[in-house]
Amino acid sequence: MQQLLSQLGINWELLISQAVNFALLLIILRIFVYKPLLKLLRDRRARIEEGLMKADEADRRLHEVDLLGKEKMKEAESKAIAILKKTEGDAKELEARLLGEIKRKEGEESALAAARLKAQEEESRRAMEKEAAALVRAALVRTVELAPEKIDDALIARAVKESQA
Amino acid sequence: MLNISLRAETIFYIGTWPVTNAVLLAFIAVILLTVIAVTLRKKLAMAPGMLQNVVEVVVESSLGFMDDVFGSRDRSEKYFPLVFTIFIFVITSNYLGLLPGVSSITLGHGADAIPLLRSPASDLNFTLAIALIAVTMVNVFSAAIVGIRDRVGVFFNIKGPIQFFVGLLELLSEFARIISFTFRLFGNVFAGEVLLAIMALLVPYLIPLPFMFLELFVGFIQAFIFAMLTLVFIQLAVTPHEGEEAGH
Repeated sequence: MQQLLSQLGINWELLISQAVNFALLLIILRIFVYKPLLKLLRDRRARIEEGLMKADEADRRLHEVDLLGKEKMKEAESKAIAILKKTEGDAKELEARLLGEIKRKEGEESALAAARLKAQEEESRRAMEKEAAALVRAALVRTVELAPEKIDDALIARAVKESQA
Repeated sequence: MLNISLRAETIFYIGTWPVTNAVLLAFIAVILLTVIAVTLRKKLAMAPGMLQNVVEVVVESSLGFMDDVFGSRDRSEKYFPLVFTIFIFVITSNYLGLLPGVSSITLGHGADAIPLLRSPASDLNFTLAIALIAVTMVNVFSAAIVGIRDRVGVFFNIKGPIQFFVGLLELLSEFARIISFTFRLFGNVFAGEVLLAIMALLVPYLIPLPFMFLELFVGFIQAFIFAMLTLVFIQLAVTPHEGEEAGH
């Protein structure tokens, strides 16, 4: 056996040398290549998966935001329509109320004006009566003081003049 | 003068420790791969450069291949260092052995001339060392999964005469694996070296070229087969048999 191994060149020292070479390479590659490279590949894969997941999440959220925006727009539109309708109703109501108020005030004003006009007419009439009475009295006084023949003409002329005034 | 030797030639001693031309070239392969590894480690980045890209493609394809065998990325990553180191060490050694100067640069003259460098796989010590490591590690991995007692029980089973015989066959098959690993790689590379040497001796120009390409192919295939068989043996060893699994 020993002779066979010797003839094949198998030598335990050389065997150990080659085994050490291999072990050395295994350790070096493990430290410098396998560990960091496999970690890097794992990290990269995790980052890519995370990125894809985030992109999906972002798409989903964007879609949700889009839907929410549309929903809000619809809601705002319906709110705006309701506000417009309410405002229109309020405006109509206010208009009717103001018109009623105006009419009422107009009525009051016209009644007041009519009363005031009536009072003024009454006052004017009274003043005219008073003045007419005074004129008549003054005419009577003059008539009594003047000669009867002159009185007639003068009285007539005067009466006409005063009545014109 | 053609000098074909089955044994690697000792070119110097470190104390009393012999260093052969095959050990020296294997060591050069280790140095070369170390330099590449250190360079790669320095340049390792999330956005890869050219070297990292190439290494990543090789590593990812190898891992993908292992995933098909193991069916799990975790397992692939666990056993990847051993399998890939076998592949890269064997292929680098084989290709370094094809470089001009290897086998042709000699120490000494005439009949005493010995090549300074020799393809490591054309020395049985190299192939046997890797085979021993591979088979030992297969058993270590298996023991780590199924337990030392169960692993030893595969070879030494005294539950019955048939089981005992099967155990002996299993033990024998482990040695057969070592021998087949060793001699397959050695035989192919040594034969290639001899073929190239003869062709170069007979027709030095052009004719050896196709054989060089053939050796490049053989170098790759042998490294691949060695790593592949290690991978399959690991897979067989770390997967409990159905009967055994039911027993656990």
